[in-house]
Amino acid sequence: MKNFIFGVFVLLFFQGHLHAQDIKGKVLDENGIPLPGVNILSSTSSSVSDFDGNFSINAKEGEPITFTFLGYVSQTVNAAANMSVSMKVASTELSEVVVVGYGTQKKTDLTSAISTIKSDQISKQPAYNALQSIQGKAAGVNIIANDAPGATPTIIIRGLGTAESGRSPMFVVDGVITGSIANLNPNDIESFDIMKDAASSAIYGSNAANGVVFITTKKGKQGKTTIKVNSFYGAKSTLNPVKMANSSQYVTFFNEKQAAIGSPDRLNLNQPYNTDWYDELTGVSFSQSNDISFSGGSENATYYFSFNNYTEDGLLEGHEASRNTLRSSNTLKAIDGKLKITQNFSASFSKSTPKPYGSFTEAYKQAPVVPVYYPDGRFAQSFWNRTTGEVGYIIGPGETGGRLNSIGNPVANAFYQNEKNKMVELQGLIQADYTIVEGLTATSRFGATKSYSKTRIFNDVRGRWLTADPIRTSAQFAANAASNPGVVDWANNSLSYKDVESFRYNWDTYLTFNKSFGKHNLNATAGVTQERKNDIYESYMQGFNVPEQEQYWNINLASADYRKVANQFYSTPTQVLSYFGRLQYNFDERYYISGTIRRDGNSIFKQNSKYWGTFPSVSAGWVLTNESFLSDVKNLDFLKLRVGYGEVGNANVPFNATTINTSPGTDGGAGINNNNYVFGPNQDLVFGASSGTPVTDLTWEVTKEINAGLDFELLDRRLSGSFDYYNRLNTNAILNITPLLNSPNELNYFDHGGEVRNEGYELALNWKDNISDDFSYSIGVNYARNKNTLESVKPAYDGMTGGSLGDGQITKRIQEGQPLYSWWLLEADGVWQTQAEIDANPHIGSPAPGHLRYKDQNNDGVIDDRDKKFFGSYIPKFSYGININLMYKNFDLSVDGFGVGGNKVYNGLKGKRIDGGENIAEDTFNGRWTGPGSTNTNPGANRDALSSSYFLEDGDYFRINNITLGYTFKDMFKISRLRIYGTAQNPFLFTKYSGFTPELNNSGVPRETAGIEVDAYPNIKTFIFGVNIEF
Amino acid sequence: MKINYKKIACLTFAFAVLVGCDDFLDVDSRENVTEEDSNQNFEPVQFVNGIYGMMTSWDYAFSYLGITEIISDNADKGSSPGDPGGDKGLLDGLTFTATAGSVEAMWTNWYKAIGRASYSINYTENYGLTDVAYKNRLIGEAKFLRAYHYFFLVRAFGDVPLQHVDLIVRAPKDQVYDFIEQDLLEAIQVLPEKSEYAPADLGRATKGAAKALLAKVYLYQKDWQNAYEYADEVITSGEYGLEPDYAQIWRANTENGVESIFEVQARGVALAHGVQQYSETQGARGPSGWGWGFNTPSQNLLDAFNAEGDVIRRDATIIFRGETLYDGREVSNAVENPMYNEKAYSSANAGAGDGDKNIRVLRLAEIYLIRAEAANELNNQDVALSSLKEVRDRVNLGEITTRDQALLRTLIWKERRLELAFEHDRWFDLVRTGQAAQAMQANGKPFEVGKHELFPIPNAQLIQTPAMGQNLNW
Repeated sequence: MKNFIFGVFVLLFFQGHLHAQDIKGKVLDENGIPLPGVNILSSTSSSVSDFDGNFSINAKEGEPITFTFLGYVSQTVNAAANMSVSMKVASTELSEVVVVGYGTQKKTDLTSAISTIKSDQISKQPAYNALQSIQGKAAGVNIIANDAPGATPTIIIRGLGTAESGRSPMFVVDGVITGSIANLNPNDIESFDIMKDAASSAIYGSNAANGVVFITTKKGKQGKTTIKVNSFYGAKSTLNPVKMANSSQYVTFFNEKQAAIGSPDRLNLNQPYNTDWYDELTGVSFSQSNDISFSGGSENATYYFSFNNYTEDGLLEGHEASRNTLRSSNTLKAIDGKLKITQNFSASFSKSTPKPYGSFTEAYKQAPVVPVYYPDGRFAQSFWNRTTGEVGYIIGPGETGGRLNSIGNPVANAFYQNEKNKMVELQGLIQADYTIVEGLTATSRFGATKSYSKTRIFNDVRGRWLTADPIRTSAQFAANAASNPGVVDWANNSLSYKDVESFRYNWDTYLTFNKSFGKHNLNATAGVTQERKNDIYESYMQGFNVPEQEQYWNINLASADYRKVANQFYSTPTQVLSYFGRLQYNFDERYYISGTIRRDGNSIFKQNSKYWGTFPSVSAGWVLTNESFLSDVKNLDFLKLRVGYGEVGNANVPFNATTINTSPGTDGGAGINNNNYVFGPNQDLVFGASSGTPVTDLTWEVTKEINAGLDFELLDRRLSGSFDYYNRLNTNAILNITPLLNSPNELNYFDHGGEVRNEGYELALNWKDNISDDFSYSIGVNYARNKNTLESVKPAYDGMTGGSLGDGQITKRIQEGQPLYSWWLLEADGVWQTQAEIDANPHIGSPAPGHLRYKDQNNDGVIDDRDKKFFGSYIPKFSYGININLMYKNFDLSVDGFGVGGNKVYNGLKGKRIDGGENIAEDTFNGRWTGPGSTNTNPGANRDALSSSYFLEDGDYFRINNITLGYTFKDMFKISRLRIYGTAQNPFLFTKYSGFTPELNNSGVPRETAGIEVDAYPNIKTFIFGVNIEF
Repeated sequence: MKINYKKIACLTFAFAVLVGCDDFLDVDSRENVTEEDSNQNFEPVQFVNGIYGMMTSWDYAFSYLGITEIISDNADKGSSPGDPGGDKGLLDGLTFTATAGSVEAMWTNWYKAIGRASYSINYTENYGLTDVAYKNRLIGEAKFLRAYHYFFLVRAFGDVPLQHVDLIVRAPKDQVYDFIEQDLLEAIQVLPEKSEYAPADLGRATKGAAKALLAKVYLYQKDWQNAYEYADEVITSGEYGLEPDYAQIWRANTENGVESIFEVQARGVALAHGVQQYSETQGARGPSGWGWGFNTPSQNLLDAFNAEGDVIRRDATIIFRGETLYDGREVSNAVENPMYNEKAYSSANAGAGDGDKNIRVLRLAEIYLIRAEAANELNNQDVALSSLKEVRDRVNLGEITTRDQALLRTLIWKERRLELAFEHDRWFDLVRTGQAAQAMQANGKPFEVGKHELFPIPNAQLIQTPAMGQNLNW
């Protein structure tokens, strides 16, 4: 808020002024908002409208004056004193310009599938990372949100195409290639252009298999300085909390379980505590953002400068993320406009203090009968007295004790996590475009990103040890430390610092040729680019027993009794050299044909014989409405058919470990490769080695895609839309292979072993209409359907499992014909009602009545892994978005929604149990089996812990992402536009899923816990009040 | 002016194309030293060390417990009733199948260890070591370890593929035993005795260890004469003796002690190396506890100790709830299970991930019992009784005097159980002696004759190599 007030003061000193000339007037848009930067031409003079839309021009009254402005219909009006001109928006979305690789193109000329999202769509949904703002706004672009502070959402374009390689698209920010856009202030973004098909993205060759996302940042426009201030303040809370069982329900459940397993110990019915762990753990959190931007320019120079501060905290106490960004963009024209220099620079300074997501899982499972703190102020644990039935750690003589469960205290866990991250990211671009002759331009640009990050972790080892068991004392810890000199398990604390520096650049140089010969229009681009990335310096140091006060947290002050750890390395950078070319031709804007070719050489594959690859594409389009036979059809304003084919690569592949395994240094090999050993009376460490994995030659994955689509505008351009069909095949997907169990090869290895097909279609429709001058509205919907299939797996490579729950249970498997890493589970088939029923039927282990019953799929009389079957995938089959905008006078209202369906998610919170003393949701309690005949659906209090279809639920959901109501004041004082608004982000979620959030990407690795709710951040709803001011 | 700019633009472009040649892709490796820059090769001893390292893996702290002890009448799964420990509950109840994770883990672990041994034998032979005795010793160590792991495989699975011959075709049990014997006989030729090693090599395989293992291998084949001879050679070698106090055998102060013939080495320091969590998985669970509470002594075992009046070994083997341990640690009444495995207990770093517990694999008392059993079968009851006496005297149990071969046989078997409880011998011993069906059924477990004598070939292996074929009735 401070920044905002400061901004207002700055602006009060700013004042525009006019030069008195013959004709004065004002240019407005359709909504009566002043339009700055409109070019005005009279017969003798030219002028530009100022910030308030005012202009003056040397002209005689009655003389025709022409008004032109990009994106608006040009008008010629006769000059009159104090004239007011209303400009109409030319678009039609199709007349817009979109960014393609190494150039731009009119949207009408596109022959491939590119989605564009503009700044107004982004700023409407404020977020730390702009990707979160575009969820649901482009068909086929699936954004999986993560509501933790400062989190990066996941973006998957046209389905999951790879099992092991990189899944993220390539980001190109104004020409700078980057791996993330977390350093960007969303308000600095002018547009997203997302290349979805290979025909368009093939110009980026071996980096393009996951699509390419172009981000164009805002630039200054010719005219007076525009100052914009945006501020908002938001309050956040859990969107979809799960109601957990209370103390008395828990006690009932626990005692039923005890009775069922034949234990005589019971919890007392009257428990002193009724802890709502989520309540204790989480609170309302806040976010705010303030930014200010200055932009403007003259005929030969434009500038844009912005500053943004974004701060948000999380549900867990102490979880914060903040970011300050500065951005400056300038363009200069020289030599009669033939040379254009574009320069931009951004700096982002971010900080965060993460807290463990595991606390959310613990809060689900910890028993409500356990208090947060014991009366003496120490964190409580789940101890109880089996003899007296009381919860607590005091066990009298002759009494026995135990733990209700092995879950820690979630509040303590969050409390002890002490981590601080800082990051500075500098990104810059310099570009020169020189027009050699009319139609031929040479461009060279250099873009680079340098980042520095520092992570500090302090671990209160003693505090955690004492907390884990309340009967432990500091004296015991000290005694252990004394009898184990040098053993870091008994150091009071540990402190570590990790520093990472990374650098990447790309240098592109190309020629663009643009010429029309009569009705023949030709556009050609050819160039060369070189790129360096993965140039990383990393150092890590750790010391033990530093003073407890934070001010002394220096490794230098760590105790000399424990060996300090120092690790440092430089990574081997990756260098890519590429040649590319594109040829586009159209005849009379009716028939289009386009071809691109890219040749990439990549240093990481240098040891292979094949480290150069060629990635071609070809596409064609036909604008039917420019044909004479369709040009006059009423209500059909535009219709284009297009088809394309392209080949793209994914060079972000995993690599095999070295052929000889060793584990030198500090890990000692325990649990990693088990190579090292100790010998001698003092058991001194000796280093060992073993042979590793087979050597397999890996190269990039190659994806081939065909795309066919159409674009249309109907009914006086009120209805526009597009439809696309695609079929993409990753022809040599890399799989993670387990060597034959009885072979000498120890480690899993990677090899090209299958094909991954994604086939689907996308539909986008947009209706907009002006009912009156005061009332306009638009409705956009999009829908995308995708089918993911693993095909042609090499014979011995099938059947790898994944989706480990961390307790010995797995949930996924790959198999030919199924989606990648589909659910593979026992099929729950009712509940055992009686022991007689168990005895008479196939069962697993020694179940008891009330346990889930599983289907004997192979009818061999026993239940084991061979009875598991496939249950679909965590990958949605379809996703859809809806965006509604209404403008009435000075009010604006918008509603956005997003949904996915056809996917399954695994409720790991409910399903992953160890001791049976974990808490349950209230619904689980109410629905449980309580005796023969009570239910044949839900298990009883005594249940097994096997992974099964019982815990797999529909992942379908529809969420209202955003409801915004705003009101705009115009021309108040010096302020040309002031808008205040309230936004409800994620106010409603419609889902049958019983956990906190069905958006479960986790690490995103298909083989891991993607689609499983375990240690996941809940969905958040946010209420925002904000203001936009324009001077 | 105009022309200059034009030139610059053209030159820039030309320059970019020029540097854009292939050598841009020659990037020097920085984090890993490449083959041509590396002056040092791997020493053969490193690969031999790597075989030993295999025995410190996590599998030995969990899966191994399941298929050697929990499955038997000595031990229960332990832990919380609701915690299956993967398949430990299924093993305990003898309801596991070919998909049991513990069986798969050990099958894989043993074969990988064999792979390491064969690799290091090849590597050592071809490396060009000039010190022939040293070279032979390294090969001998590797052969001992290869035999040790094949011995597990043949006992657990019967006919198994010999890795160097074929990965699919199962060699008959006899051939596997032949290969084990050949490795051990060759190892005996080249390995030094325990006393001949340099102190820094304490813990490596010795001549005595190879002989002791060979005696046990012959015992499993009922080759009484050879079992007798090799056991006798170990006993009379002068290298070993019995610890005077049975309770000390599994403590830190007797590591590599007089009774120890072969044991897995561990040092409980994360920076050095320890056996993964062996003490932690079997440590007391709950308040005052330090572990997960798996592999707990069964009532059946306790009864066996009590029936024999075997107080010393009972109390050295079992931690009782509420007991104060020898090092002063109080095991509160609040712990979850009534009994825990004391032989897995480490005083210094009880619950640490990198444990310091040396796992005793072969010790002299067992060799006495092997000699006793072989002697009895050879109708040499004098030696049988005297061997037995050595073992029983230490724990204050009365002398056995019967010369009835059949009775003496069962007494020796019982002695093995009580002496070696929780030393990962019970299940294989039950099967070897043919007592398994009776003992397990008496313990209420559904042992099926003709099936449970062998573990199933892991299903995951059969998915990879269906032609290998499953064991009978699995």
